[in-house]
Amino acid sequence: MRRIILEIYQRRELLKGLVVRNLKIRYKGSVLGFFWSLLDPLFMMFIYLLFIRIMRFSIDLPYLLSGIIVWQFFVMCVNDSLGAISGNTNLVKKIYFPRVILPLSQVLANLVNFLLSLAVLFVFLLFIRTDIQVAGLLILPVIVFLEAIFCLGLALAVSSISVYFRDAYHIVGVLLMAWFFMTPIIYPTSLVPERFFSLYLLNPLSSILIVFRGILFGTAMPGGPLLFVSLGFCVVLFAVGIVIFAKLEPYFADVL
Amino acid sequence: MSAITVENLGKRFFLKHEVQRSLKSTILNIFRGRTLKEEFWALRGVNFTVEKGQTLGVIGANGAGKSILLSLLAGTMKATEGSVRVEGKVSSLLELGAGFHPDLTGRENIYLNGAILGLSKNEIAKRFDSIVAFAELEEFIDTPVKHYSSGMYVRLGFAVAVEVDPDVLLIDEVLAVGDETFRKKCLAKIDSLQKQGKTLLIVSHDLETVKKISEQALLLDEGSLLEIGQPRNVVDKYIDLGIHKQEDLEVKEWGNRDAEIKDIVLMNRHGEEKQRFKNGEAIQIKINYDAHERIDNPIFGYSIADNDGKLIFGTNTQIAGVDIDFIEGKGSIILMLDPNILIRGKFYFSFSLHSSDHITNYHRKENWVYFWMEADNEEIGFVKFPAKWKF
Repeated sequence: MRRIILEIYQRRELLKGLVVRNLKIRYKGSVLGFFWSLLDPLFMMFIYLLFIRIMRFSIDLPYLLSGIIVWQFFVMCVNDSLGAISGNTNLVKKIYFPRVILPLSQVLANLVNFLLSLAVLFVFLLFIRTDIQVAGLLILPVIVFLEAIFCLGLALAVSSISVYFRDAYHIVGVLLMAWFFMTPIIYPTSLVPERFFSLYLLNPLSSILIVFRGILFGTAMPGGPLLFVSLGFCVVLFAVGIVIFAKLEPYFADVL
Repeated sequence: MSAITVENLGKRFFLKHEVQRSLKSTILNIFRGRTLKEEFWALRGVNFTVEKGQTLGVIGANGAGKSILLSLLAGTMKATEGSVRVEGKVSSLLELGAGFHPDLTGRENIYLNGAILGLSKNEIAKRFDSIVAFAELEEFIDTPVKHYSSGMYVRLGFAVAVEVDPDVLLIDEVLAVGDETFRKKCLAKIDSLQKQGKTLLIVSHDLETVKKISEQALLLDEGSLLEIGQPRNVVDKYIDLGIHKQEDLEVKEWGNRDAEIKDIVLMNRHGEEKQRFKNGEAIQIKINYDAHERIDNPIFGYSIADNDGKLIFGTNTQIAGVDIDFIEGKGSIILMLDPNILIRGKFYFSFSLHSSDHITNYHRKENWVYFWMEADNEEIGFVKFPAKWKF
């Protein structure tokens, strides 16, 4: 573990270069360029809003937009990680550098996107005059950090497994779809039956969203101490991701 | 002191008998208790050292394990057994521009590729101008590389890789790409790296280049080391073994086959079979044919092409004024090139058999057999003119 961190530190220039590359190429050639990372969640919000109104739920905008932004960070990390190794065959086969830099650079690029989206969220909240709990802003970095390492853990696992099993592409697509509905993004947590709630919190993304909204908007934080356990899963999944990646990493060049 | 030490190196792969690995088939195979794995050693029992400042040329047919050896030296693959020790900073000139992204500009790619190869931003900035100058891309440096020609792409890749300033440089078949001018430039750069005392390991199909630039050569065949030593001797052995098939020109064959050219035997004047000839030595070619029906006044033709498929010379029995009354059944005809005026390189014979009016083509086979020419002197080119100096 220390060796990996040291190696990453030694190659920080490369990491930085790849993060910048990932951000650059995502929007290169499009007219609105970087603004898309900000427009995407807004458009999604309007689509869901329309749908939700038709379904006659009541949901407020800050709740919905925060859900979309948190979800998007996660989903982009997972989708990008599918090709993190297998999409860079040439590099992996030809040149030695710590492979972990590839998924890491993608998660970091998405993190940059996420932080910018958060900025947009706050501008939006000011605009519609929502009350933000200032104390919550101090805890926010912890939540962002937990989501980031959760995403990184998952990205490490997915990127290395997908080198060996191409079916991962399809499986991930289906799982993400289910995951979307198992996370309180477009519906309030009050819809989740009480007896399933501890099961529901097995998904760290649920607790991340519950706490995220709780500390910012003062919405209810159901689950009590179970929330901490659920957030703890982020760390566990991060560790599992590292172990899987480390196990599979030496043979990437053999399989690709 | 040795820069590269390789001891008892082996790399094993498991060949799976499915083209596509998928979760479903894997699970099914686990349930059926079948392990469709076959062991395959891409490299085994390889030992050698390269002294600091020396250049080692690696030759061998495709699939001999050359690229695997480079991957093991570069550290992208892990050895199954044995060990690899490389002293100092390694840089790979493997597949130029491997890290380029088509949507980024030349400038952005230089920084990114430099970082991949282990340079810091400052180091790249310092070398930036010389990289651009070497690649001759001053005008296009802010254009996305997807708009580059393949030559420009390769030039940029080479320019970045040599600027990494490694102690050990691994070069994989990069001299085969690019135009002649750039090739010369690369060779000049390699020469200057050698003078700076860098250790080089070069994989190449270009045997003449290997002979010229390396102090030592290594011959791989099917994963094992066949020979290491003087480049000249190793290259000779490689040619003698006849395992260098990968770079052959494509054999093309057509005709109605009423009469066929069955096989060709290359010999010297005394009828000894050979594939390598010295300049001035006679080449005796026995063409065995089989005419399935009686053919009156047939014409036998031959031509010689160089390694790039460029025609050097061609003639036939009609032009030479040799009348062949008829052929029927099996027989042979002798062609004597005496003296042969080729100097060095690899050459290909094509043969044809057609009717006297050139309308019916019985059998034609292009680039069928090849032979090697060698010369002891320093003359250049591939044909020796009978020239005399007067002073």
